[in-house]
Amino acid sequence: MSATATASGTTAAPAKAETAGQSGVLNRRRGRVATTVMFVLALIWLFPLLWALYNSFRSYDYTQTNGYLSVGGWTLDNYKEAWTRGSFGLHLKNSLLITVPAVALTLFLSSLVAFVLARFSYRFNLTLLGVFLAANLLPPQALLIPVFRMFREIPLPQFMSSSGSMLNSFWALILVNTAFQLGFCTFVLSNYMKTLPHEIYESAELDGASVWRQYWQLTMPLVRPALAALATLQVTWIYNEFFWATVLLSRGDKYPVTSALNNLRGQFFADTNLVAAGSIIVALPVLVVFFVLQKQFVSGLTLGSTKG
Amino acid sequence: MARPVTRGPRPSLTIPGSVSGVDRRSILRGALGAGALLAASGSLAACSSDSTPATSGGGGGGKPGNVKFGINEAKGSGPAYDRLAAIAAAYTQKTGAQVAVNAVDHNTFQESITTYLQGSPDDVFTWFAGYRMAQFADAGQISDLSDIWPIDGMSDAFKKAATAEDGKQYFVPVSYYPWAVFYRKSVFEKNGWTEPKSQDDFMALLKDMQGKKITPFAFAAKDAWAPMGTFDILNMRLNGYDFHMELTKGKKKWDSPEVKRVFETWKTLLPYHQENSLGRTWQEAATSMAKGECGMYLLGSFVVDGVPKDAADDLDFFTFPALDASIGADALDAPIDGFCVAEGGADQEAGKAFAKWLGSAEAADAGNNASSVPFIAANSGASTAKYGPLQKKSVEVVQNAKSIAQFLDRDTNADLANTVITVALQNFIKKPDDIDGITASIQQQAASILG
Repeated sequence: MSATATASGTTAAPAKAETAGQSGVLNRRRGRVATTVMFVLALIWLFPLLWALYNSFRSYDYTQTNGYLSVGGWTLDNYKEAWTRGSFGLHLKNSLLITVPAVALTLFLSSLVAFVLARFSYRFNLTLLGVFLAANLLPPQALLIPVFRMFREIPLPQFMSSSGSMLNSFWALILVNTAFQLGFCTFVLSNYMKTLPHEIYESAELDGASVWRQYWQLTMPLVRPALAALATLQVTWIYNEFFWATVLLSRGDKYPVTSALNNLRGQFFADTNLVAAGSIIVALPVLVVFFVLQKQFVSGLTLGSTKG
Repeated sequence: MARPVTRGPRPSLTIPGSVSGVDRRSILRGALGAGALLAASGSLAACSSDSTPATSGGGGGGKPGNVKFGINEAKGSGPAYDRLAAIAAAYTQKTGAQVAVNAVDHNTFQESITTYLQGSPDDVFTWFAGYRMAQFADAGQISDLSDIWPIDGMSDAFKKAATAEDGKQYFVPVSYYPWAVFYRKSVFEKNGWTEPKSQDDFMALLKDMQGKKITPFAFAAKDAWAPMGTFDILNMRLNGYDFHMELTKGKKKWDSPEVKRVFETWKTLLPYHQENSLGRTWQEAATSMAKGECGMYLLGSFVVDGVPKDAADDLDFFTFPALDASIGADALDAPIDGFCVAEGGADQEAGKAFAKWLGSAEAADAGNNASSVPFIAANSGASTAKYGPLQKKSVEVVQNAKSIAQFLDRDTNADLANTVITVALQNFIKKPDDIDGITASIQQQAASILG
């Protein structure tokens, strides 16, 4: 998360300076000061990451004898060992099986709600949006025991969950993640949808488009930037999710990759360089998703949040 | 996704969306779409919802004798996993029953044990002796194993460690590791030092080390449990094993003169310990002993993992000398690892049969033969052929010890140990003069936690 925060900080910075420059608040000198300050802040953010990256390429024996301020002891073995010892292949697959359905389901369901909230004026619309948002404020830890007990009592057939209940199944994680992300997505999407001109819907109505068609063929293509931005965010959040995975799963071979990072630590001994290498491997997919969809992320979010 | 077809401008209809009815068919189609999406995610999730058995065949619990085995070592994490996996495989080979291994890394397993036992636990799982076991026995979450005791080759000390408050056994020991004072043989030889046998020897050694500009004790307190080792050994040398057990069970007070005496003694010894210990991990402390900057290190025998190979071969240890002649030096910390049968497990019979076998010398040998680093088997009938010199000495030391404690955080309530005592010990290291305040604060919280 810190990586994404830094990246958004640095990419958002020039955009901010530019718009501010147009209105004449920041002159060139002030802009330079702002840039320097932001550069320093970005460095402070990045330092621990770069330090981890640096040490992940060094052998533990070398840093142990020469200290972490030394230079040398280069090796790629940390990555090889982290990959095999952490069984990252298996756990990345688990993360994929949790993240992709959860993100798809979240976006689909929240876009349905958002569409209704934005396009129709029922009496309880505002209340509904309020309820969705209120759920967002609830810390997930407070729901730990109720959710755990509830899931324990929900039976699933053997082919869906080998434990016979929601516990120890990916279903549980997909549902929990979807539930906790729905509120935020609904909020952003409904705000975004409210910015679509009403005339489009009037003409669609005139052409005989049903509500479903207005949603699926008219609204969805138009909110694509917002969906892309949310998808980026959601992939990052759900992929990084650690709490529910450790609570709801107790099978070692089912853990997502964040929990599997612990595999690199022994009961007492922890090879910190190896853990650094493992963390880099775990962080890579998120960084890739973020950088690929970066443009949508920035434009989509600002568009959705300023109107409505 | 099809783009909306744009047509020429038309006069706008003034029917608001909320008034115009919703077409039934479109709702049906929408539901179908949602269903398809759910189904797609479902098939993805179902792909790997089966647990992987360690050996061929289906998961445990199906056929009679098949058993599910939860272990606190991640798959492929090293010798500890290799041993447990080999033990599971040997059981299959012997009885034909399948063992489905569920491998979770050590710390996660330990931290989520409560949800594990209340959720869908495996039949048999790895756990620790002492209070940590007894509290689950008390809560009825682990099964009574008194019918498989006595186990051939297990001494009374182990039986005692496997016994809960109600006098029944709930635990099968498999291995242990002692806490002792480790040092490098070459460093001792070079300086003409020998293992201290008495308190006078010990104090003389400390002074001599300091004179030669070597810090006598390597010391680390960043891992909050590490200083507990020092507290434990001082407590057992000054007040004895029985006092340690009563104290950890809340029957003796933490602000008693006995406990204060432990801290007073520790305070006089602190100048012989490495400074700034709060910012140091045990691995760093072990390194400074390996480099010869420090003379000795009081730690568990896992210290060998934290030093380079050449230093590991050079290590030796002695037990902490007696500080009070009437108490002696016959108690030590030697945490015991082993197995419990979960009350919530699917198959009690199969679990108990497996647990019984796990205590045997045969099981210990199967584990040790498969691993590069053997554990010290609890069963006295187990082969010692693979043991290194340190392990052979450990066996001797533990057999000579009259009482074996499990370590402070295993002998008492986990909340008390991890949230109260750790902080108190770190405060003591910061401010060694505030013994009254520190002991009073532990006692106050111990009273509320232990009830």
